Amino acid sequence: MMKTKLAILVLGAVLLSATGAGAIELKFPPPDFQTPYGLPDLYNPPPAAGFGWWDTVILFGALSLATWFVFKSRSRRGLFLLSIFSVAFFGFYRRGCICPVGSTQNVMAATFIPDVGVSAIIVSFFVLPLLFSLFFGRVFCASVCPLGAMQELVAIAPIRISPALERVLGLGKYLYLGLATLGVATGAGFLICRYDPFVGIWRMGHSFNMLLAGGAILLLGVFVARPYCRFLCPYGVLLGWMSRFSKWHLDIPPSPCVSCRLCEDSCPYNAIDMPTPEHLVEDPETGKRRIRAYVFLSPAIILAGAFGGYMMHEPLSRLHPTVQLSERVAAEDLAIYQEEILESETFRAGDQTTAELHAEALAIRGSFKKGGAWLGAFMALIICLKLIGLSIVKKRDIFTPHKETCFSCGRCYPYCPVEEAGATT
Amino acid sequence: MLEKREFEKSDFMWRLSTAVTVVSGIFSVIVFVLLAVNYLQIRAVDPIDNEMITQMRIEYSELPEQDDALAKRIEELDLLTRKAFFASQNHLRVGAGLLLVGVCVFLIAFKNMIRWKPELPELAEVPTADREFLAYAQSRRLITWGGVTLLAGGLLVSLLTESLVAAPAAAGLNASSAQVTLDGGVDGIEPPIAVAKEYPTWDAMQLNWPSFRGPGSSGQAHFTNAPLDWDVEEGRGIRWKAEVPLPGTSSPVVWGTRLFLSGADEQTREVYCFDTETGELRWKRTLEPFEDTPAESPFVNAETSYAAPTMVVHGDQVFAIFSNKDIVSYDFDGNLVWGRNLGISDNHYGHSSSLLAYGGLIYVQLDQVEEGKLLALDAPTGETAWVKKRDWISWASPILAHTPYGVQVILCSEEDVDAYDAASGKLLWSQDCLGGEVAPSPAYSNGIVFAANEYAMASAIQLTGSADAIQTEILWEYDNLLPEISSPVGDGERFYFATSYGELVCLDAASGEEKWVEEVSDAGFYSSPVLVGDRLYILDKEGTMYIVRAGAEYEEIATRAIGEETFATPAFMDGRIYVRTTAHLYCIE
Amino acid sequence: MSKTKKFDRRDFFRGTAALAFTGAAWGAVGEKTEGTVWQLDPNKCTQCGRCTTHCVLNPSSVKCMNQFNICGYCDLCFGYLQPGSRARGTGAGDQLCPTAATKRAYIEHPYYEYLIDEDLCIGCAKCVNACLVFGNASFYLQNRQDVCINCNECSIAKACPSDAWSEVPASQPYIYLTGDKSTTI
Repeated sequence: MMKTKLAILVLGAVLLSATGAGAIELKFPPPDFQTPYGLPDLYNPPPAAGFGWWDTVILFGALSLATWFVFKSRSRRGLFLLSIFSVAFFGFYRRGCICPVGSTQNVMAATFIPDVGVSAIIVSFFVLPLLFSLFFGRVFCASVCPLGAMQELVAIAPIRISPALERVLGLGKYLYLGLATLGVATGAGFLICRYDPFVGIWRMGHSFNMLLAGGAILLLGVFVARPYCRFLCPYGVLLGWMSRFSKWHLDIPPSPCVSCRLCEDSCPYNAIDMPTPEHLVEDPETGKRRIRAYVFLSPAIILAGAFGGYMMHEPLSRLHPTVQLSERVAAEDLAIYQEEILESETFRAGDQTTAELHAEALAIRGSFKKGGAWLGAFMALIICLKLIGLSIVKKRDIFTPHKETCFSCGRCYPYCPVEEAGATT
Repeated sequence: MLEKREFEKSDFMWRLSTAVTVVSGIFSVIVFVLLAVNYLQIRAVDPIDNEMITQMRIEYSELPEQDDALAKRIEELDLLTRKAFFASQNHLRVGAGLLLVGVCVFLIAFKNMIRWKPELPELAEVPTADREFLAYAQSRRLITWGGVTLLAGGLLVSLLTESLVAAPAAAGLNASSAQVTLDGGVDGIEPPIAVAKEYPTWDAMQLNWPSFRGPGSSGQAHFTNAPLDWDVEEGRGIRWKAEVPLPGTSSPVVWGTRLFLSGADEQTREVYCFDTETGELRWKRTLEPFEDTPAESPFVNAETSYAAPTMVVHGDQVFAIFSNKDIVSYDFDGNLVWGRNLGISDNHYGHSSSLLAYGGLIYVQLDQVEEGKLLALDAPTGETAWVKKRDWISWASPILAHTPYGVQVILCSEEDVDAYDAASGKLLWSQDCLGGEVAPSPAYSNGIVFAANEYAMASAIQLTGSADAIQTEILWEYDNLLPEISSPVGDGERFYFATSYGELVCLDAASGEEKWVEEVSDAGFYSSPVLVGDRLYILDKEGTMYIVRAGAEYEEIATRAIGEETFATPAFMDGRIYVRTTAHLYCIE
Repeated sequence: MSKTKKFDRRDFFRGTAALAFTGAAWGAVGEKTEGTVWQLDPNKCTQCGRCTTHCVLNPSSVKCMNQFNICGYCDLCFGYLQPGSRARGTGAGDQLCPTAATKRAYIEHPYYEYLIDEDLCIGCAKCVNACLVFGNASFYLQNRQDVCINCNECSIAKACPSDAWSEVPASQPYIYLTGDKSTTI
């Protein structure tokens, strides 16, 4: 008993002296106990062990299994069951953290901001799906990503939307990626995590608005399959780029295609390209001129984008909490708001002066000028590339999945009659 | 290995799954609605800070004796709210689980519903050769438009959002050319003091009587040759006497040979210019309503009047403000320069704070219940140069203090004394030392700010520290006698003030020691004392001027009656005193 | 798509991309491989109460702790009793803690020991504030690492008005009181 007490007192003395708190003034001096009494231990449990590298191992296993289902067994049911596992494990059990989608930000933070580190496990979560994508296509999206798997499970009565609409809405994910990068680079925070629509569902509780958003996306997902993956997912952009160059990729008929168009109908993602007609409708010269025009114009478009992004620095900078606070304080000083909010009240009680706060906010806004220009240029570049890509008609003889947009979900497998023939013979 | 989609029907399975789909769907919707309602309820009713219980607890703790019945009631209510809270929490948890199960069942049944009533795939029209090409063309168009929309939307948003930090302009009141809001001018904004050259220097201001209680509202006259002897009944020493058309408690201000005064009743607001030599009314201007001028004048207390704030002279302009917050500027010949209304008055005695001017800025202390603020208006244009939020109401006027740390505008409010940088408006320091309904303005002399109010305390605030970080400390406090309306004045060694009960009080500036107290008047003082050399001039409510020695010992010098009710503080200029009574204007020589 | 195909330009590109990618990512890890956890600095805490409401967990992973070597073991503990509580009873109605998580035990006259039942504590900081204002300020909030699920972006950290939250090395997951905390709220 006495030993414990002594240990605690020594610990306390070390703590107090180490922090220069010798001058601490206690209103009530600690008692000098007459009866034997030892100060209780400060109970400080270590961080929950988590899964450590087991997370990575399980991710690797799930990715391998998904690859096997896509390429070897060609089993939609296998992928479906794996989806259920992913939702249950990565989603509800691991509560959505750790996830490769969010890890993008950690890696970016470690790249952009000095002194910010990222643990090897998080890097492995970022890299593994990309590597798999580089070799096997987006098998991660198929059934390993809990967000994708969840949406795949609810996509019961999907309708097809027009390919043009699909492409323009798809710009959303590039914008989200750009914004998330900007958020990380300027220290505004992890937007992808903040606006993760499903994390509230994994945890059975979150802000009411985010739960509603998650529910709405899932409800929409019953009819418009995978809305988050197709139109918002920032990590999907990277996976798509990798998958575009993938060594192997899911293909629909292992034996010759009979062009029955059943697969095209089965795909709710507009991810199956049809064979090109034998006779081109457009004079090839017109097409070439168009491409030349786009290439010629693209520097101007990119500059316009950069200008637009630069002009946006003011609203964009409000992503940053310091800028928000600074604006709020300025507005209060101008008597626009009569009430102080908790943030401004705390700020005013603190040591920082208004001038310092404003100076800090202006410095941050300065970084948004640069970042906004980059964001605008990036979006313009994407639009240019899309336009050029849409001017090149590749020659295709059979129905092929589009390597960038195909989620390798295997929905087309059961539809292909050739496959059946192949299986029975 | 390969599972094939079965194009087969089963009517029974279809019916069954349809039924389950419908039931589970309805179930999920109901659970969701209940959950949402429950959630919002929990959010609205916080059991930790239940107002009723808190109120009861306060009541309980203030009771002189133990009240077991109340204690029991509190306990019961407390238990009840806790129970309700935990029940709601439990409902949330169970509800979330039920919703999850309901949705799962719904999804499975829905899937089966579709599976068991399969429709053969409806293929789109046979692909024409140009379908893909058309889709590409459409995509290009849409993406182009998407890009244009993004750019246009972005530009529109950036135009619509205006930062208050970088460009404080239009956000403040009706202002459009605001220059400085940043405390300390972070963005390198030139403080408006740069134009001060065109405005009278401090020396020039001291040779005149530009504002309430003289230059900088200090209560100190530069000329020490004020008359000592006059007699109103005999006309001895009275240079002239003039009628003032409309009433008002505002005091006269003088620049050169012009004396300016404001007067108002409920409907009419007027500015007068008198010739100081002859007492002739040079010009009179009646204010036309401005754009935002309220149709009816806000209520004012009879003793406050509709023209309580004193005018200010600055440069070649005069400025007047009235109880309805119309502020107007004329040049010396009575030509309107600008005028505007400063917004709704929320002040239960009526606006009474006088104007102050320095370095091209007109300071307006608009302390009131809601939306109180300190405005600095650009003198030539009347536009808001900067604006500072004020938290408390008051009826006091701002003073200008030339401190070792720069020129400060010092204000009293219901709670504290605040000092702002005269040029930038940066809040330099704030001292919590007042209370009650504050009408006396502060006084500054020799590094000490003196502020007092009846029902509170008189405090001497010592300024220390550096110009970058001014520190304040309460040097001493005094609460024996306190001023209610009349403002104090200091001569460096002592502070003097007058009470509404007719006492004159002198305190030692360094120690707060009561040097002398003299009950001189039965009528009481509303007008403020003015220090003229080593003499103190003060008018009581009945219009009797007491002239006493400003020193460590009380010494009566003279008592002269004007004989009319007086609220205003007289102006002192080169051997003359200008006194405004309720009805007349006197020039005493 | 045949696997027997020769190593071509695309393969080279892929291989390079894969290597560059992995290399860059591991480079980002560098020497800063140690994991971090979220923690609040009790010396910056202003007891605003958001730790209770903004945690993704319910109840919050933030709990109150008592630093015993600062504690005055008072009989009239303002962190324990409601202000104005006459009876100084141990009933929930007399306690400041809304969940009765503060436990009081008699040691010797006139000293009482105060322990926190962390299963009940919701991290509302009422006792922390009361002890700061009236007492020795021995109560303080800490994020309990055994409960916290260590989100990538902590919701409380985002909502904290006094910037008290930060990511700390997992090996030193707690921040103690230093005693130089401001008494203004």
